Amino acid sequence: MASKIKSVKTNKFIPLLSGRQKKFEGEMARLPEMPDQAFVLAKALHPKKQFLKVAEVIERAEDCKSFVLVPDEEKGTKSLAYFGAGKYLTVFEEVEGMKITRAYSISSKPKDSLEGRYMLTIKRVDGGLMSNYILDTWEVGRSVTVSAPEGHFEYQPLRDAKNVICLAGGSGITPFISMAGAVIDGDEDFNMTLIYGSRNRENILFYDELEEINKNGKVNVVHVLSDDDAEGFEKGFITAELIKKYAPDNEPYSIFICGPQAMYEFLDKEIAKLGLPKKYVRHEMFGEFRNPASQADYPSDVPETVSITVTIQDETTTVTGSTNDTVLQILEKNGIAAPARCRSGECGFCHSHLLEGKVYVPKALEYRRLADFKFGCIHPCCSFPLTDLVINVPVAK
Amino acid sequence: MSKKYDVIVIGAGNGGLGAAVTCAKAGLKTLLLEKHNLPGGSASSFVRGRFEFEPSLHELAGVGNPEDPGAIDQMFRRFGADVDWIRHASTFRLVVPAKEGDKDTFISEDGVEVTVDARMPAGFEPFAKKLEELVPGSYDSCMAAFDLATRMYSALDKLEKPLEIPSILKDVPDFMRITGHTINEVLDALGMPKKAQDIFNTYWCYMGVPGSIFDYLYYSLVLHSYVKAGTGIPTLRSHEMSLAVDKKIRDYGGDIWYNSEVTKVIMKNGKPAGVVVNGEKEVYASHFICNSHPNITWSELFEEKEVPKKQLKMLNARKVACTLTTVYLGMNKTKEELGFKDYSVFIAPDSDSDKQFEDCQNLFNGFCIINCLNEINSNASPEGTSQLFLTTMSFGDVMKDVRPQDYKKFKNKIAEHMINVCEKALNISIKPYIEEIEIAVPATFCRYLNTPYGTPYGYMLEKWDSIIPRTIQYIQDQPFDNFLFCGASQERGDGYGCAYYSGEKAATLTIKAIKEGK
Ligand SMILES: Cc1cc2nc3c(=O)[nH]c(=O)nc-3n(C[C@H](O)[C@H](O)[C@H](O)COP(=O)(O)OP(=O)(O)OC[C@H]3O[C@@H](n4cnc5c(N)ncnc54)[C@H](O)[C@@H]3O)c2cc1C
Ligand code: FES
Repeated sequence: MASKIKSVKTNKFIPLLSGRQKKFEGEMARLPEMPDQAFVLAKALHPKKQFLKVAEVIERAEDCKSFVLVPDEEKGTKSLAYFGAGKYLTVFEEVEGMKITRAYSISSKPKDSLEGRYMLTIKRVDGGLMSNYILDTWEVGRSVTVSAPEGHFEYQPLRDAKNVICLAGGSGITPFISMAGAVIDGDEDFNMTLIYGSRNRENILFYDELEEINKNGKVNVVHVLSDDDAEGFEKGFITAELIKKYAPDNEPYSIFICGPQAMYEFLDKEIAKLGLPKKYVRHEMFGEFRNPASQADYPSDVPETVSITVTIQDETTTVTGSTNDTVLQILEKNGIAAPARCRSGECGFCHSHLLEGKVYVPKALEYRRLADFKFGCIHPCCSFPLTDLVINVPVAK
Repeated sequence: MSKKYDVIVIGAGNGGLGAAVTCAKAGLKTLLLEKHNLPGGSASSFVRGRFEFEPSLHELAGVGNPEDPGAIDQMFRRFGADVDWIRHASTFRLVVPAKEGDKDTFISEDGVEVTVDARMPAGFEPFAKKLEELVPGSYDSCMAAFDLATRMYSALDKLEKPLEIPSILKDVPDFMRITGHTINEVLDALGMPKKAQDIFNTYWCYMGVPGSIFDYLYYSLVLHSYVKAGTGIPTLRSHEMSLAVDKKIRDYGGDIWYNSEVTKVIMKNGKPAGVVVNGEKEVYASHFICNSHPNITWSELFEEKEVPKKQLKMLNARKVACTLTTVYLGMNKTKEELGFKDYSVFIAPDSDSDKQFEDCQNLFNGFCIINCLNEINSNASPEGTSQLFLTTMSFGDVMKDVRPQDYKKFKNKIAEHMINVCEKALNISIKPYIEEIEIAVPATFCRYLNTPYGTPYGYMLEKWDSIIPRTIQYIQDQPFDNFLFCGASQERGDGYGCAYYSGEKAATLTIKAIKEGK
């Protein structure tokens, strides 16, 4: 065998060394032209931030408005990032000296973004910081900064059943308005049944739009009123029975749910009765967790206030806050901007290092990676301090 | 002005992490800057529903075993980084489904008509025996190829140690002879039957160049670290490796800033003197190690006139390496229920690596590597489930006709194609059991890695730009004496081990320069 190697000619070593440098010398000394399309797409679909202006305000109900947002070219946003129906935007605002963020599902259909229009629909939350601020201050012409479209609450043809029963409660209708538009436009291809729970006829958001959608024939819309008994409406709550009534008999179906936390808790029990495989039940994110002390696994003897020493890049600050607030909320309340998107524990965007101290994380919001536990990393948006903390947080983006 | 560092490392990919930990450990004031909010670049993980997916690592070459740790395990021990390795001792299974008109077909154990079905064990001797079984008359040439690989591997090792270079020619007499020859040339000379060569060459795709281009010397390194030393994976996905090193950098007194993109390199007297972070904050240092791909570094962080002419010429001469598309699947069935028996199956439309390479000029190419993480990591997903990932490779701007509004459909189309390829080649059913799915196409990798075409592989290891000239000319290829590159764009090309290695090497040179007062 060894002799066979000798048949390989010794003729390549020297040319290999000189050839390479010669090849370099022969080239033009200038930057290559355009970046490739994969690179261009990545930037177009995931801009760092989008600078927008309010172009129109639509009153939806007493406590709810829609805002049509268009690119603010002066600030550098020329076009809007396209998105899959169901995604959300994070809104950045400064309210009473705090730099805060909240997630809002895009309620316009994907096609509208190509014409430079997004719509957000925001419902007032009693005592809520962002919703009240937006409803009271956003008017036509106002500048608004939002994130790229985010989230995973989308139809996925390789995963989901062809029939999708969408369950909405209150402002949870927003992603489904977008999905229905995408189905009608042919941008999504599934059989959509939308079951929308509201208190009474007046509380129904997008009533006229939903009538139009229903008429089109591609999407079936069912209204459920909890407090009213009216002709042409289902009465009561969304239950397993009601879902079965509108679900196909002999074909698989997926359930998508978006609504307030109380609705998730109620529906989880109802949906369990249907015996669907896990893959066919999908929730939009939980939202910010409130009142951790109400949880059975919350420890006792937790102090009311704690101090948090936080390092962001080369700046270290010590602040104090309530153990009833998340680490993220405490930072924000002290005027420190921190990275956040979903504020529900899921997206990992707030990923930070916990160097000292202990936190409580509600089970429903536990989406950390395995190695995060080994190396002491937390998601501040769903971590409640139990002791004084020392943390290292990435700079807000 | 903020405090001044000895070294700023740009980018916390595997290369940047290796560089930063080495500098910090040596006591240099080190700042590691990363655009993303996590360390690792490709070496990370992500959660969907009840699954945590491994984004990129198929096998980590050179983990070795506890008694005889491989190069990467040794390196992590040097760093003091705590990673719990799962070691495993198989290599791959290659399946080539039969096409119309193929002769020599047979029915595989899965009941599929194929031309190749080769499940290869680890270790040179077992591998060669198996090859003999599949292609009679190949044993001797296979062992000769491994023997040559062992000697070439030792030559490569010496090449990195200046004092040992003179001994190469004496100790490894065939070094000069083999260098510059491709795998095909060497295997032909050794008389290996063509069919055996095809199986032998299966790893070509890990480095992105086929048998007619791939330098045998470099393949020696690949064979050595995959077939001989034994591979492994970290127990908690590759995020564990990245966080382990992140921790050591901090322990050694280094600083790490996440969400901190270098948007400009500040030049003074024709040399880098500092960086601008996120377009606003200036930080200064005497030395820099750059883990960002040179194409992006030169076009985005420098003014064209600041870029050394040679670097611009290098950009134009070199071909950007291949790009990947990966489909991550969280399955609501166990691997047994699905019928998986292997960790890693390479499914190819043709057995010849050059034909595979040609097919991969398109994205829809019938070439797919399917991995079942549960096969080697029993805790890879919750009870009753399993985690798969499917990978294909392509070259060039395969997304050139894709508009933003086509993006989602494009992703689903390529994913479906890849799933179909696997279902057919292995006679299994995947689609009904998908509970979670994520699809990463070249644009996805662009987003996370910030490389041209989204390549994780740096530059193509073309014949003229292979490991030997890259290694010998490493210093003369660096742009400034205080600014060195590391990562997949450097001499050893892609792979976790190679990237870490390049980071450690750049750091070692930087430490030396600083100690010598340069
Ligand atoms: C992915 C996603 C999409 C969303 N899309 C929309 C949308 O399209 N439209 C929309 O209107 N909203 C949407 N939300 C909710 C939205 O992000 C905000 O949570 C909402 O506007 C309230 O913010 P706020 O700042 O006004 O209230 P916060 O300041 O966050 O709330 C503070 C006060 O509200 C009270 N409170 C709020 N919720 C509860 C609760 N569940 N239980 C008890 N007390 C509570 C508390 O007493 C607290 O003092 C979405 C959320 C997510 C995660
Ligand atoms: S902001 Fe999404 S996990 Fe914290």
